[in-house]
Amino acid sequence: MWRGETIDRRGFLKAAGISFTAALFPRSLMALERADAVYASGFRAPDGSFGIATVSERGEIIDRVALPARAHGMAYSAATGHAVAFARRPGTFAMIFDPSKQTEPIVITSPEGRHFYGHGHFSPDGRLLYASENDFDGNRGMIGIYDARDRFRRVGEFDAHGIGTHDMTVSDDGRLLVIANGGIETHPDFGRTKLNLDRMEPSLVLMDAKTGSLMQRHDLPASLRQLSTRHLDIAENGRVWFAGQWEGARNALPPLAGWFEKGEDLSFASLPEETTVRLGNYVGAIAVNRREGLVGLTSPVGGAAVILDAKIGAVLREETVREAAGVAPAAHGVAVSSYNGQFNQTRSKVAWDQHIVRLG
Amino acid sequence: MRKLCTAGLILMLPMAALAQGTDTAPSVDLPPAAVTKVMTAAVDGFIRPGYDAFQASAETMTAKMKTLCEAPSKANYEAAKSAFREAAVSWAHIEIVRVGPIIEQNRFERILFYPDRKGTGLKQVQAALSKADETVTDPVALGTRSVAMQGFGALEYVLSGTGSEELLKAKDSFRCRYGAAVAGNIVNVAKEIADIWDAPDGIQKTWEQPGPDNTAFRNGGEAITVLLGILVHGAEAIRDQRIETFYKGADKAKFPKQALFWRSENTWASIMGNLEGLSALLDKSGMAELLPEKDRPVVAATQAKLKSMIALSGKITPDLEKAVGDAGERKKLDTLLADGKDVISKLNDGYGGAIGLSSGFSFADGD
Repeated sequence: MWRGETIDRRGFLKAAGISFTAALFPRSLMALERADAVYASGFRAPDGSFGIATVSERGEIIDRVALPARAHGMAYSAATGHAVAFARRPGTFAMIFDPSKQTEPIVITSPEGRHFYGHGHFSPDGRLLYASENDFDGNRGMIGIYDARDRFRRVGEFDAHGIGTHDMTVSDDGRLLVIANGGIETHPDFGRTKLNLDRMEPSLVLMDAKTGSLMQRHDLPASLRQLSTRHLDIAENGRVWFAGQWEGARNALPPLAGWFEKGEDLSFASLPEETTVRLGNYVGAIAVNRREGLVGLTSPVGGAAVILDAKIGAVLREETVREAAGVAPAAHGVAVSSYNGQFNQTRSKVAWDQHIVRLG
Repeated sequence: MRKLCTAGLILMLPMAALAQGTDTAPSVDLPPAAVTKVMTAAVDGFIRPGYDAFQASAETMTAKMKTLCEAPSKANYEAAKSAFREAAVSWAHIEIVRVGPIIEQNRFERILFYPDRKGTGLKQVQAALSKADETVTDPVALGTRSVAMQGFGALEYVLSGTGSEELLKAKDSFRCRYGAAVAGNIVNVAKEIADIWDAPDGIQKTWEQPGPDNTAFRNGGEAITVLLGILVHGAEAIRDQRIETFYKGADKAKFPKQALFWRSENTWASIMGNLEGLSALLDKSGMAELLPEKDRPVVAATQAKLKSMIALSGKITPDLEKAVGDAGERKKLDTLLADGKDVISKLNDGYGGAIGLSSGFSFADGD
């Protein structure tokens, strides 16, 4: 997720260097030169292969990196220039790459008894990479820790204090890990089957990034135990915004997004009924535009994108976007992609995956 | 709908990419009447008869087990094993439905606890047999114990595992009574699930009539997507869970004793049951009718591939040690894996794409 720490397009170009821009096709170079922002997102190509593309703010593909299989969430460190794409659960690889292609990609694999859960985040200095993982035989979420200075060697892990760990992020000062435990049990023996929909345990956790000790855990109330809290981002003031996917009755109207701060209880955005219906009780991605105080939500189920006021959670804008996939902060508003190849103003012959990361 | 189109609130998609109006825009948008027809056919023509047949086969299996216990003989032993096979195949047929009440309250695991890479079920069954724990000889009491010792895996060990010859030695042996209790427990779960689906105002109505007030499907697209999901996930389970568990390719490690029902040599009977279940659901639901004429050949092509896989499964030796050890048999296994991948692709991208999931079913299942 974009955290205000990113470099702009000029910074990205400078970091990328002459060799990167020289290697681009003229059309891609033009797209990069006129871009206000640069993003990356996973995609599936028409031939069924998977990759990561860097994308201009207009949605034009600048460059591509091939992946061995489908990716899900991504993270970027402005401090080091590293980007990472995590395998979609229950995948076992993560690819760390340099969007400017100055260095060769590094592929890491989850250790025995673990698989990646699809998300992760860098520490502010870029030295550590945290990854959400599943200890599938222990049925508990974990946070794997990888050392960026040692080719991303795995150096430890923390208990995520919940099950079905999905998205996670790091506070701006690097002291806190913020974890979304979706509460759904899965096991690679059963693919992506959700094994405990009748007894889910969603929770949101703040953890000490140094020790892994639990600082704050919010279990969802009994009436919302089927709201899988899966994605989150941090706003300017340290407020954690989260979004969920409802696994309960389809005619229910649960709150789909909310926020909390250190030492505070959960608050839920009071979305109008029509907005909840449009989102199909399902938010697939969330992103905060800190500069403008906005929260973007997307739903492939309902085919919608919604912008909220980050201070009060009120709906500011909502649009129908068929097969809406990722969302990320833009120079103004939010960038949105879709499974059918739309990325902002551009339609490409790819299926964009569920998440976008802003690089610059 | 709220729209504050100030410069700072820009959604970066152009208006051309945004659908008009304030309604939801589900990826799959199909005529409600056509959806109801297909969902009704799926429920009344496949799911309910499937669970009813499974219950009946489990009752027969229980009766044969009781007969074996009361009058141990070679003939009654063979009859019990035959009934086990028929019940396992009947289960395989409807097992492909991995949504709804079957995955609640551990019902699925109580019928079949698999995969079991750590041999949890085997250890618990062996412990129960060695201790002659009488509490496991009552089906109701057994239903409260570990799911790993309640279902088909446990009964297979009783009938075909080490020490199964005891079944022929004495009347009402502990082993036999435990086996009968397992069969009775399977009947109990089968009856429970069949009753849930047979209740006129219950899940069958929910599945057949999607709508805004429906607890399962807010619209027809959601219903058909779930129906397609049964087929996609069912095909994936056959390939990834039932075959690749013991055979991933000629140059890969092989684990024939990890296969489901290897002891009783019912592995292929079960897999054929799964494949026949997929074929029957695709056929009886009339899902092809939801597609534009030009896209309907994908259903016929899927059926042809399923029939081919069923035929080939019947030609592979049930002795899995031999199946993975013989070059000719391995070739058949390789073909099954390739065909399985093809079926998944046809359903996922072919059918899924034709109903509006532009990137296919699996790609669109979020996360």
